[in-house]
Amino acid sequence: MTVESAIRIENLGMVYPGGVRALEDVTLEVHTGEFLAVLGLSGSGKSTLLRCINRLIDPTEGRVWILGEEITGAKGGRLRNMRRQAAMIFQQFNLVKRHTVLTNVLSGALGRSPLASSLVLSFPPEEHERAIAALERVGLGDRFTSRADALSGGQQQRVAIARALMQEPRLILADEPVASLDPALRHSVMRHIEALNRDEGMTVMCSLHDIDLVTRYATRMVALRDGRLVWEGVPDEFDQRTFKEIYGEDAQPASNTGF
Amino acid sequence: MGPKDDRGVRAAAWERNLARLQATAVDAVLLGITLLMVEFLVLAFSGRRGPTGLLLSAEQILDLLHYAWAAGGGLALALLWNLFHRQLGSSLGRAWVRGVPDWEAPLEWTQTLRGWFTAIFIELTFFSGWLITELDLLTFLTKFGKAADIVRGLMHPSGAVLHEGLVLLVQTIFLAFMATAFAIPVAFVLAFPSARNLTRNTLTARIAYTLARTLMNFVRAVEPLVWALIFISWVGIGPFAGVLALWVHSVAALTKLYSEQIESIDTGPMEAIAATGASSLQVLRFGVVPQVIPPFLSFTIYRWDINVRMSTIIGFVGGGGIGYILKPRVDLGEWGEVGTLVLLIAGTVWLMDVISAKIRERIV
Repeated sequence: MTVESAIRIENLGMVYPGGVRALEDVTLEVHTGEFLAVLGLSGSGKSTLLRCINRLIDPTEGRVWILGEEITGAKGGRLRNMRRQAAMIFQQFNLVKRHTVLTNVLSGALGRSPLASSLVLSFPPEEHERAIAALERVGLGDRFTSRADALSGGQQQRVAIARALMQEPRLILADEPVASLDPALRHSVMRHIEALNRDEGMTVMCSLHDIDLVTRYATRMVALRDGRLVWEGVPDEFDQRTFKEIYGEDAQPASNTGF
Repeated sequence: MGPKDDRGVRAAAWERNLARLQATAVDAVLLGITLLMVEFLVLAFSGRRGPTGLLLSAEQILDLLHYAWAAGGGLALALLWNLFHRQLGSSLGRAWVRGVPDWEAPLEWTQTLRGWFTAIFIELTFFSGWLITELDLLTFLTKFGKAADIVRGLMHPSGAVLHEGLVLLVQTIFLAFMATAFAIPVAFVLAFPSARNLTRNTLTARIAYTLARTLMNFVRAVEPLVWALIFISWVGIGPFAGVLALWVHSVAALTKLYSEQIESIDTGPMEAIAATGASSLQVLRFGVVPQVIPPFLSFTIYRWDINVRMSTIIGFVGGGGIGYILKPRVDLGEWGEVGTLVLLIAGTVWLMDVISAKIRERIV
């Protein structure tokens, strides 16, 4: 195993309790510092793949390493420590709606916070400073007392990015981070994720379905179809033929995808 | 055929057999009950007389029925029906467990044995039910006179118990309040192990779920009235026994409501908090608790409302509150005083209802 692989996935397979197979024999390496886009139709296994990496879902077959350490089979404190290294951003933002923006960002520090005080929502002053700094980075420094559900979708996703930043991770796992946002706001969120990758040197693995965004932000891309890895390459190699390979013969690229 | 396929075939065959068994069991129960109802009605209309020379009462007939024969007969009929389902059409159990085959689907209910059986079963249920519960329309319509006294009394409340009633009303409200308040922390703690979605992952969690659920189902199955009798002999007659009885029942009821609320939460925030490397207690605190607090408050206020109503009945057997002075007045037929007390209770319940509705509206 090479030192420079941020994530290493070997023969990963996932069959849900109902018998539905979501992933089959996926082997993949995510290099340190890259921005890897994961493509595929809805239901192709993108979300499952991302959740198998930090074990929000337990894969039924195969192994996964994060930063050289195996996370499959890890338990308790060791698993939690490894999760701290990999922050996650979700399609539905998944903020705690009734908490303030600040508390939401502070929750990114839970992995390193003392249990008792965190349960009464109390965090040390230096964590507060970090949280405010993270909010300022995503342009929401003035909104920290608002309740999370008072914010617009784009703002909520930026709070989620600040929460990820708070975690001080080395990896970002992003599951369709802009799919539920207005198209006009997508770049504003994607640019923040890009900044984490470029300025902080965080490795990003991000599922996206908009080809435009993929070619604009990703340094490398992989594609899933029916739970299998069907394509791997750089955005320049992506063409009409690859498109059909991933999305099927009947698929048509949307008019604004540049073909 | 490889060993893997072999296993698949065996599993499928096992599942088919299980379905057959379930279908037959359902039919056996239904047919057994049918046989019993038929025997009941035959005996009821046969004009048979008991040892005292009077016509048999419904209770006496129920005592005479041949339950074992009905069980055996039901099972035999169920087996026959399921064995000859091609000739007779699917039985109810079979249709329920496996669905009906294509050729049966377009048939009207009058064209299937299953349809006729269902119709007859429903008829029999109503006929038997009428006799067993001793419904008597004639008496209902002609004997109102006796009850009129009571109604007249209720309409003319007497002021004699107003003072005492008001004092005990205060006791009733506090009794319900204390029972509810003490139930909150216990139910809150028990609700988490009682929620299916939080207890799926480890064996310990599943055991905790089963224990908590079984205990709460048992506690809820015992009526508050029975709890009151238990606590009256424990701590003596008075409001304290009432508080304890309502407390036990409220813990069970609130645990169920709370845990159902936990089961219906959005799992997204839980995932997000778990992904930060938080421990399971932190996931509960940040991912679950904020989502369930408003509905918990709303249920709790509603429960207080219910407890005020229940404490009246609890008072009947000696659990304190306004019910305690209501019982002797009912026994003595002091309908004017009963009327006063009933009005006091109704007014309070109505007021609590309005207030709790307003508060709940605000919270959610």
